[in-house]
Amino acid sequence: MTMEKLYRSHVLVCAGAGCVSSGCHAVADALTSEIAKHNLQDEIKVIQTGCIGTCDLGPVMVIAPEGVFYTKLKPEDAVRIVEEHLLKGRVVEDLLHTYEEGGQSFRSVDELPFFQLQKKLVLRNCGVIDPANIDEYIAREGYSALGKVLTEMTPEQVIHEMIKSGLRGRGGGGFPTGRKWQFAAASKGDQKYVLCNADEGDPGAFMDRSLLEGDPHAIIEGMLIAGYAIGASIGHVYVRAEYPLAIERLSQALDQAREYGLLGDNVLGTGHKFELDIRMGAGAFVCGEETALMASIEGKRGEPRPRPPFPAVSGLWESPTVLNNVETYANVAMIINMGAEEFAKIGTEKSKGTKIFALAGAISNTGLVEVPMGTDLGTIIYDIGGGIRGGRKFKAAQAGGPSGGCIPKEHLNVPMDYDSLIELGAMMGSGGLIVMDENTCMVDLARFFLDFIQDESCGKCTPCRVGTKRMLEILDRIAHGDGKEGDIELLIDLGERIKDSALCGLGQTAPNPVLSTLRYFRHEYEAHIRDKKCPACVCNAMFEAPCSHTCPAGTSVPKYLSLISNRRFSDALRIVRDHNPFPAVCGRVCNAPCEDKCRRSQIDEPLSIRNLKRYVADVEMKDTKMPPVKTRGTKSGKKVAIIGGGPSGLTAAYHLARMGHTPTVFEALPEAGGMLVWGIPEYRLPKAVLREEIRAIEELGVTIKCNTRVGKEITMDAIKSGFDAVYVATGADKSWNLEIPGEESEGVYDSIKFLRDAALGESIPVGENVVVVGGGNAAIDAARTSLRLGAKHVTIAYRRLREDMPADPYEIHEAELEGVVVRFLVLPTEVVAEGGKAKSLRCQLLELKEFDKSGRRSPKAIEGEVIDIPADTVISAISQEPELDFLGGNTIETKRGKIWVDKQTGATSADGIFAGGDVVTGPATVIEAIGAGITAAQGIDRLFGGDGVIPSDIEDIVIPQPAEDVDDIVETPRAEMPSISVEKRNRFAEVETGYERDVAIREANRCLRCDACNQESR
Amino acid sequence: MQTHVCDCEQIAQDAAATERELYAKLDEMIEAHRGQKGVLIQVLHKAQELFGWLPEAVQIKVAEGLDVPLSEVHGVLTFYSFFNTVPRGKHTIRVCLGTACYVRGGKEILEKLQKELKIQVGGTTEEREFSLEINRCVGACGLAPVVTVGADIYRRVKLDKIPGIVAKYKGNGA
Repeated sequence: MTMEKLYRSHVLVCAGAGCVSSGCHAVADALTSEIAKHNLQDEIKVIQTGCIGTCDLGPVMVIAPEGVFYTKLKPEDAVRIVEEHLLKGRVVEDLLHTYEEGGQSFRSVDELPFFQLQKKLVLRNCGVIDPANIDEYIAREGYSALGKVLTEMTPEQVIHEMIKSGLRGRGGGGFPTGRKWQFAAASKGDQKYVLCNADEGDPGAFMDRSLLEGDPHAIIEGMLIAGYAIGASIGHVYVRAEYPLAIERLSQALDQAREYGLLGDNVLGTGHKFELDIRMGAGAFVCGEETALMASIEGKRGEPRPRPPFPAVSGLWESPTVLNNVETYANVAMIINMGAEEFAKIGTEKSKGTKIFALAGAISNTGLVEVPMGTDLGTIIYDIGGGIRGGRKFKAAQAGGPSGGCIPKEHLNVPMDYDSLIELGAMMGSGGLIVMDENTCMVDLARFFLDFIQDESCGKCTPCRVGTKRMLEILDRIAHGDGKEGDIELLIDLGERIKDSALCGLGQTAPNPVLSTLRYFRHEYEAHIRDKKCPACVCNAMFEAPCSHTCPAGTSVPKYLSLISNRRFSDALRIVRDHNPFPAVCGRVCNAPCEDKCRRSQIDEPLSIRNLKRYVADVEMKDTKMPPVKTRGTKSGKKVAIIGGGPSGLTAAYHLARMGHTPTVFEALPEAGGMLVWGIPEYRLPKAVLREEIRAIEELGVTIKCNTRVGKEITMDAIKSGFDAVYVATGADKSWNLEIPGEESEGVYDSIKFLRDAALGESIPVGENVVVVGGGNAAIDAARTSLRLGAKHVTIAYRRLREDMPADPYEIHEAELEGVVVRFLVLPTEVVAEGGKAKSLRCQLLELKEFDKSGRRSPKAIEGEVIDIPADTVISAISQEPELDFLGGNTIETKRGKIWVDKQTGATSADGIFAGGDVVTGPATVIEAIGAGITAAQGIDRLFGGDGVIPSDIEDIVIPQPAEDVDDIVETPRAEMPSISVEKRNRFAEVETGYERDVAIREANRCLRCDACNQESR
Repeated sequence: MQTHVCDCEQIAQDAAATERELYAKLDEMIEAHRGQKGVLIQVLHKAQELFGWLPEAVQIKVAEGLDVPLSEVHGVLTFYSFFNTVPRGKHTIRVCLGTACYVRGGKEILEKLQKELKIQVGGTTEEREFSLEINRCVGACGLAPVVTVGADIYRRVKLDKIPGIVAKYKGNGA
């Protein structure tokens, strides 16, 4: 062998398939020519390596020995890398990796959390060596295991070593590799075969491809050792045709191995004989099944056959055969080199070694990840994977491809090993790990997998061919909104039968995605079947557009946005008010779930739907009178009592009046509006705006009786006897106590009372130092109100992290701008008082530990770490619950302190009594309360013999057609809401000032008009 | 004296000549594999590389050359999705619908392409310019959603980029 030349620096350019498609060759070429230009070619060597693992950052490179890691490179960056880094030794800062723009940059690979938590054993050479150069493999202990095996070990010893290591097959089932070899070795046959399954067909798995591309010799060496152990002289690698680069690199490696005497009649001069070649697949998923794979190698249709006989007895050409997957073989030489005992120290008791996962889907860092077996899922997703893309919420991970199952957020603590995954109804499979966020519909996902299986079923056995077809038909109709009661049971029954009776692994596992999504997400199936709702807004056939489908009030968002962009503001407002009597209120304080589902976010950012709603409402209220809404025009004479004058009660009253009934609203406090008036401060929602919208409701014939508390000024019995129906919408305004010592001290408030008193204009002696406990909007409102009442230092104490706070991120941001300090990971333990007055809030410091049922890391106390935050005012804003005492002896069924209702009608267990809003749900949003009001109004109308249809004339409004030519959508960020600068904010003047006309029109024009698309496809 | 040949005849002659060459190569290739065990799929791969698809005449040649019944050749090639028995467009656009691409909007990309090209999956445009196919995971999950046109790979494709991608290949024979 020739002496390798020594270089001062190695530039490792990743040439894995991901980076190749990102254009890494052009980068490597530019770098090589730039290096030549500076005459550095004898000092610096450019090496194109296999996959480094950070597939979404490509093209990437590592400069060794210092390990500097450059990402997202372009050919023109080569100049600076050479002139700055390689010549002057200065790191090119702006090419380093950062997780967020302007955030911390990572200088070297070792600093990145993505790499830090990994244990790269099988991938040890990937991204380090040039896979096209056998010498580099040899330099890193390559083929030394083969040498050792051939010269120092008997085949029995090799097999024994494999058994001792505990290595289990990495392709799916997890059968012990050593045992498999033992069976094949014991089988009699003149010719035995060693096969490698590189038909990595599971969508979402790409570790085998990366290994073949990045370290092909490791697989060749593993197969050579297997051949020696079982006495086989012929091997085939069955590679899928979709992997041309893997095929190319592997054939190159085979040629080199032959040239070096590692393959052929006399391996390493020992007389051992082994020949190895590549067999290309032709696009059939079923060929990943071992018997089908062997049929395919024989040149036949890749149809499976029943086992036994197992391949170890009668496999390829009816001879004893060992078939392992790529990753399994890649472990073999390493085990021989490090020794079975060392290897067995890694991983868990029953799953030894490491496992490579292909991390993909809705996750921040996609790529290849190698971790010890038993690493928990949450660590892989959050610590290595960097969490969910775009700050969304984790919903489930799909493990094991079409044969596997979903792992929901309740199980983020699951150790990733063979047996734990089986217990959860998933499986290791080949290690594909697809992460899904709230925008994935589980029904649709199951349909996707079943469609895949249906496509790939070879058709030989009936359960798989026909059974999966029937299952797919059922899923299709569920996804189209035509699901029936009993469909879920039918799916389970069919699924179980197919599992029992299908011929091969493909068929037996085919129902898994359906069964597993049903196990954890049955409620989503039920939403599709019963409510005709797709919560993730994926099943297009069920809705007009994701925004309107998500709106609890069912507002036709694309319609009114299109009217805004056509300057037809009055018509736009009519569309909103057809469902929602509070456009100006919701235009200010709605949490806008519609925006979370806006498809524009796939291009740039979601539409600013809330702000546009506010624009039309403000414009109309200022310039003209509110446009009229359609009513039935007849009177039914039915009287409805509505208890509670909040958004839910008033919405119900509004629609009942439109349907010709006579509602009376009983409000305990001096003014109607509920939390809108008493909970949301003036600077966010001016009272005048609210009053105007309530006035419009009254104009329809709604009577509002203030200062009338049911149970005090009027009895429940009087209401029941005096009215034809009752709607209970009393909200949830009983604050939870902190349940800590000192809570009775002077200066301790609950947020409801605090905000209510502030709204009533009662003087609240706010101290200099205020601490608010909680993380929701009420906490933010209390904090910002305290500042306006004269507090000097306002702190919010929250027990988790910022991303866990239920409050609107925009509100948190505004509060911080105004000077509120948020302290995370603290738990109040005592109000420290002096002379009966609060002095400070004692807090336990917390740290995040394992994942809890909500899919978040649970905060646990750090022993002995306690702080006192100065506080003469402490406001508790942790949560609230309904006050139900007024119901008296009326037997209305409750559930966990809340009234139970039928979701479709709003009816309670008592005749003629309906309920909705926070009293049913617990503290929720304004728009959900409005939605409940609509449902109850319809339910009450049906009780009176009506059809439950709210009279509407918006069908008469001609909706502008979307522009034909939507091809040239230009990326435009959403229009920002203008606001008064922090310095100029005075007490309670409204902070946000609203859009200008042209801004509103421009913003509305960003709408993609999903309604038009969906009409076509429906 | 020069014989004048009109253009269309020339084209027809060229086509015939290339076809003759192709069949000669096919014969050569089949010859090299004759008598080997289990090579049918590998031979079909190479034949498709030559012709772009597998016309009946080619299937017959393969069957005769490898001494395999034509029914078996047909049975095998219809089993595997990689083999085509109809000619394809000049450019095959493949939308990956592997799980990762699917989760990141591959389905919408496919719908958009179907509209843009006015063909369904498996179809070829009238002028035989484009064929539309789906892929089951090309293993570039980090770059999802992925669309490939021939050997070119488009990563993280957004809906608004589709017309531009198609336009790039329109009227371009390469």
